[in-house]
Amino acid sequence: MAKLMKALGEDGLDELAQEQLRALEDSEEEGSDEDEDDEEVGEASGDEDEGVEDADEAEGSDEEEADPAAQAGPSEEVAIPMDELSDEEMLDEDAMPRQKVEIDNKIALERIRSTIALDPSLPWTETLTVSYPEAIDVDIDDDLNRELAFYKQALHGAQTARSLAQKHNFPFTRPADYFAEMVKSDSHMERIRQRLLDESAGLKRSEEKRKEREGKKFGKQVQLEKIKERQQNKKEIEERLKGLKRKRKGAMDGADDGEDFDVAVEDALADRPSKRAKGPNGKSKLPRTARDKKFGFGGAGRRSKQNTKDSTDSFVQRGGPGGKKGGKGGKGAKAAPKRPGKSKRMAQRSRT
Amino acid sequence: MASLLKEQKKAKGKRKADAMDVDEAELVPTAKKPRNKQRVLMLSSRGINHRMRHLMNDLEALLPHVKKDSKLDSKNHLNLLPELADLHNCNNTLYFEARRHEDLYMWAAKTPNGPSIKMHVQNVHTMDELKMTGNCLKGSRGILSFDKAFDETEWGKLTKELFTHIFGVPPQARKAKPFVDHVLTFSILDNKIWFRNFQIIEKDPLQPNGPPQMSLTEIGPRFVLTPIRIFEGAFSGATVYSNPEFVTPAAVRSAMRREKGDKYGNRKHAQAERGMRKELRKREDDELAVAKVFA
Repeated sequence: MAKLMKALGEDGLDELAQEQLRALEDSEEEGSDEDEDDEEVGEASGDEDEGVEDADEAEGSDEEEADPAAQAGPSEEVAIPMDELSDEEMLDEDAMPRQKVEIDNKIALERIRSTIALDPSLPWTETLTVSYPEAIDVDIDDDLNRELAFYKQALHGAQTARSLAQKHNFPFTRPADYFAEMVKSDSHMERIRQRLLDESAGLKRSEEKRKEREGKKFGKQVQLEKIKERQQNKKEIEERLKGLKRKRKGAMDGADDGEDFDVAVEDALADRPSKRAKGPNGKSKLPRTARDKKFGFGGAGRRSKQNTKDSTDSFVQRGGPGGKKGGKGGKGAKAAPKRPGKSKRMAQRSRT
Repeated sequence: MASLLKEQKKAKGKRKADAMDVDEAELVPTAKKPRNKQRVLMLSSRGINHRMRHLMNDLEALLPHVKKDSKLDSKNHLNLLPELADLHNCNNTLYFEARRHEDLYMWAAKTPNGPSIKMHVQNVHTMDELKMTGNCLKGSRGILSFDKAFDETEWGKLTKELFTHIFGVPPQARKAKPFVDHVLTFSILDNKIWFRNFQIIEKDPLQPNGPPQMSLTEIGPRFVLTPIRIFEGAFSGATVYSNPEFVTPAAVRSAMRREKGDKYGNRKHAQAERGMRKELRKREDDELAVAKVFA
């Protein structure tokens, strides 16, 4: 329908445009007019199609609602839109959403209900029906609240039913030793349990991962802080030393203040976290002998690899990877090499 | 209901669906406690898909007084159903009608002489889904909980009565178990009937010796029913209620398709219009046009 309206609007517009155009030129106007006509034909055919579709649909929905009593024969609506499609008003009517007739025959409903109603003297235990005193009024798209409302209703039902059962002396709670077939099989329940376990495990895993990630981030921060602190310390010490030097500038020129200065420096550096501060008296905890044992003392000195007079005179083979080669070398030293050097060879050649 | 049927029976001298009831009544004509005798015939039409089938199976498992029958061949001969119910000694019928392999309609009817309600079933979740973690005894009698909205309208009252017959398990049902461990809730929201089934847990499983704290877990199935019409008779008779808001799912789908089609049409239309405007904007040939001057 909207389409048709648009088409009409377009026609109106075109008329206006035509008037404007008429003033300008004749030939062009004719051309545009023709175009327009063509288009109108196309539009009409499109509408026709739509109309047919509508009819089909009406048929379908009728079929769907076909109740044995209310609708015996094919409905009349099928025939109507077919005969005059060119009539725009007809189309208009057809495209309107069909107004359904509301039937709410309260008297009949009440009568029917009275015919099927159970005997009101029936004890509650016969039907186990409970009414919830509140009407549920939540947004149907809000899943959580909707389900919560249903849950509340069910809980209310269960609680009232339990109290009613107590009143009627009706067994309600299943004893722990009553076993019987359940609605869901054990294997199915096992699957449900497995799924729950998997879910919780997944949650735990993701939680751990998250923690780890955060720890990493935090660790980086800690490291940065440490580096900063170290730099700060270094700066401080340098400053202290500088200050000390400045203070002692005059004194340094004096004769033997060396020891004093050392002590002062040590004092200045006292709060530096280093290995220097060992004991309370600046003494190491281990005695000399123990330290020698631990870290080694003496041993092969700096010149242990240097040749000495003795080593030069002795012909004892020293250990090494080329022991055999050394032997060969010794032999070679005795016998002259078979092939003389190049210069010698050249000299020999020139002589001969 | 029962008394009415009895009267009818006396008048016609013919056994009706409440045969069991009648038998007992004959044996002990007086001083008999009134009893709630219900049996439900459940069947479907041809062309149901797996989800609908599973829903039916779930309902059968939950309701021990249900007799399941084979699929009904024809969708046009619903008048066979009362006879069928009579054959199975049932006085209620739940008939699931599948259309186009995707739309499910549920007929709930009192069979010999009505009424019957036709409803559209949507949002079906069956018990097989792993999200529903509850469980209950097979054949235990569930509590029926109806919300207040059922008592506010006449059709709601009738629906409540009918559902009490169909979904309430009578105490004498053969396979019924003696304890209560689940609740069936029916709530009217947005003019639709929402069905839920919860297990009642009376003790917290985490602290079995603690104070009894009632809690619920969902068992399933869940579905939403949109009432369409209420007829006076069983699968027949005059319409006594019709829902004006109900739109057939086929209409909804076709509207969606139409919208899609409109999109294409609108685009084509706009294209044509633009072409025309362009044509209109064209200026007439000028004396001093570039093409003429430098021809």
